[in-house]
Order: sequence, then structure tokens, then C-alpha cells
Amino acid sequence: MGFLTILKKLRQKEKEMRILMLGLDNAGKTTILKRFNGEPIDTISPTLGFNIKTLEHRGYKLNIWDVGGQKSLRSYWKNYFESTDGVAWVVDSADARRLWDCARELHSLLREERLAGATLLVLANKSDLPGALTSQEIREALDLDSIKTHHWRIVRCSAVTGENLLEGMDWMLDDIASRIFTLD
Amino acid sequence: MIMFNLWSVLQWYLRPFIKWFLRKTTKLCELQRICYGDKAGAERTCNVERSLMLSRTRDVKEVVAFLDSVVYERRFVPRNFREFLDPSIGIILRVKKINPKLHSSFVGSFRRCLEQIWSYRCLMDQVEHLRQTQFDSNNNEHEDKLLKLWSLLVPHAPLEARVTKQWQYIGFQGDDPKTDFRGMGLLGLENLLYFSMEYPQVSSHVLSHSLHPKYGYTFAIVGINITSMAYYLLKDGSAKTYMFNSKQYLPNVNLFHKFYCYLFYEFDKMWIESKPANMMEFSDIFKKFENAVRIELADPASVFRINVEVDNV
Repeated sequence: MGFLTILKKLRQKEKEMRILMLGLDNAGKTTILKRFNGEPIDTISPTLGFNIKTLEHRGYKLNIWDVGGQKSLRSYWKNYFESTDGVAWVVDSADARRLWDCARELHSLLREERLAGATLLVLANKSDLPGALTSQEIREALDLDSIKTHHWRIVRCSAVTGENLLEGMDWMLDDIASRIFTLD
Repeated sequence: MIMFNLWSVLQWYLRPFIKWFLRKTTKLCELQRICYGDKAGAERTCNVERSLMLSRTRDVKEVVAFLDSVVYERRFVPRNFREFLDPSIGIILRVKKINPKLHSSFVGSFRRCLEQIWSYRCLMDQVEHLRQTQFDSNNNEHEDKLLKLWSLLVPHAPLEARVTKQWQYIGFQGDDPKTDFRGMGLLGLENLLYFSMEYPQVSSHVLSHSLHPKYGYTFAIVGINITSMAYYLLKDGSAKTYMFNSKQYLPNVNLFHKFYCYLFYEFDKMWIESKPANMMEFSDIFKKFENAVRIELADPASVFRINVEVDNV
């Protein structure tokens, strides 16, 4: 076995994924990212621009991009689409008023060519809040069943309690892995 | 790194000998050497604080614990200073064998240091309390503050409704600012309110920059991010340089607001000078700004002031 072959093997081992977190403002993207990374979540301010975290999870190296969700920033989302493996679409389950807005943004996102093939995880966040909609209600409001172009799943979760967050992420990682890494 | 650790361990053991040696040769204790030798302000107060914290004398440790408990009970306010500081200073003078008649100037400057050190701790407590108070739209006091912010920043156009797109004009994200305060709670609102109330010209100057067609930004959201920065600088002690170098005021909430205003004004200047292509450059420019502020705060001689000339433009 030559030196180059060893290097190649080493590089394959370092399984990298690029994940994009998007959603309307105040959905809880930064809180989910911090919770996932084990950081305190009680001193977060609205994201202007973006946050990026690189973390190891189950042997994968994840580059997670959390981009601000306020209206004036949404036109810049496209700058982050290149070579994205998975999109985590974060929804505020307690904000029924803006679900329509949320659905529109999601479907226009899914039409993006550069996101073709990316796995879609819909995180129905803030499930711990009173008045939070069920995942079935959100599934219907976002018209998820019409999505044929992407592998998708909806998970009801809470960044504050941590409920279901890991399960959702793990499903996305498995789905991405089965697509981009060939089994040894 | 290892060298550094070795040095700090060595220092821990050597400190009493060095102190003993200096005491014998100068006939002054460490606190006296600091108060006589160091410039008044951050340099002197930080060194006094370090000396007190490192002390292994039982009485000194008790004085520190006592003053901390006064802060904890929220009783460390100027009108109580004499009551708490006189006995504390008395104990230190006795333990360190300092004659207050011979060293009256020491007593004065030492007292000032104690006032600053424990006012800062008190301030940390107050700021934390404000931050943890969530903005509550059912609380009339909170609502009044929010409405007042609008009328101060946009005096010529009254709000059409409580929930309206107009809020975006002063840089909130949507049509109701209540969710924008997030983890900074009431502190974010109080900071913005102070800025627009106490520095009307500076804040409207900054607001007009935020409305620039090319280099504009969201005024209130940037403001809340600045609150977060000021909060962390206070918490990790970096803001001591600013607070202790203030000749006029002891650390208190208003001084924290002034610190915030200074940061907001300086950030705005840096943002406009950077000629950013769009809002997505915020993360980079904000990081650069924070580094610059930290470098400045690391120098105990730094003095911070909003350039007043702008106020008169």
C-alpha cells in the first residue's frame, strides 16, 4: 500500500457534511445549533449575518451554517446553497400567524437547483410552548406531502428541553450518509 | 503553555516571599504600594482587587466575603457605603498595621477602590437581573418603554398600531418587536431607550446611517447584538477598564448604558467605514469590532468617550 493510498483512505474516513439551517426569524435556529453543540442557550440575540459551527457527531464532521431569517436577509440565503447536503428547516410551532409565510419560503427554497438532492428535515420547534401546533397540522400547513423532489421528514422538537432534537438530526445524517458515502 | 503554568505555580509559592521582601525594604504593604504607586483608575483598582483576592490572610478574606454578601443582599448602595466600608477599612488597617493618621491619603484612595470594586459586582448583579427579565407585552411598564422608544426615535410619525410594519423602520425584524429582545430581555430595550433619550443627536445620527440605501442595517437588532456584547464584556471583567476609569461615576446601570452608547456609536462608525457589500458581512465586521474593543480595554490607561463634536452636527 503506497503512501497516497493511505492518505486517500484517511480522507474518506473524515466524513464531512454541510448542513444549512434556515427558517423565518424567531424560529429558533441559533438556539437549536447551540443546544446541539452543548452551549448555553439563554443569552441569544437575533442573528444578523450567519453563525457557523463545526462539530463531530457519530464520526461525521458537520459544518452547520445558521443564517439569519429576517426578511431582509432571505435574499442572501442563496449564497450558502453550494454543496449543501442537508437543509434543516426550522419552524416556530407556536406562530400560526406566519405559517403561510413559512410555507411560501420553504417551497421557493425547494425549487432551487443547487439544493436538488439535499435532504430536508423540518424541525417543528417550540413544541413545549402552550398553543404549539401538532406536527400533523404543520405538515398540512406547509403542504409537505407535495414534496417529491427531496427526501423529507418532519420532527416535533424543542430546543429548550432538547426533546427529539437528536432523533431528527440523526435521521438527516443517516439519510445523507446513505446517499453520499458508499458503504465500505 | 507549560511554561506559563509553571510560572503561575511558582508565583503562587514565591508571592509571600516577594511581598515580605518588599514590605521590609519599602516599609509599605502591598495595598499601600499599589495605592501610592499606581495611577488612579483601572490600573490601581484592578491591582487592589487582585491583591485582595489573592490574600491568604483570614481577616482580609472575611472582609471580601462580607462585602460580597452585602452585594448579594442588594444593600451596597452609596448611602450605605460608610456603614459597610468603615469597618472593612478598619480591619484592613489593623491587619496591615497601617497608621491612618500617617497614611490618610492611602485611606482615601483605598476607599475609592473598594467602592469601585463592589459597585462593579453590584452592577453585574443588576444587569443580570434586567437581562433575565423577559419583555412581556402584558406588562404596561414594558409596553410604555417600547412606545417611548418609538416616539424618541421617530418623533414626526406616530405609530399607527401597536403591531405594525412601521417597527422595521427602526430596525426590528417584523411587525412586533416583542420577540426580538430574546435572551437580552429588558436589558436590550433599556439600552436602546437610554441611547435615544440621553444622546438624541448621536442616536438619530446613527439611525440615519442605518437607513442608508447602500450601507444600511437594522438599527434595533444591531443594538440588541451590541447589548449582548456589552453584557459579556461586563461579565468577564473586560469592562472594568471603562468603569474604573470613569472619574465622575461609580459603576452603575447608567454607566453601563453609557458604555453601550459608546459601543453602538463606535460600531456604527466602523460599519460605515468598512463599506460592507451587504448585511451578511455583519458577522465578520462585528467580530473585528469586538477584537478592537477588547484590545483597547486591555490597556488600563484607555479612556473612552463619544466624540462630542458629532453631537452638535
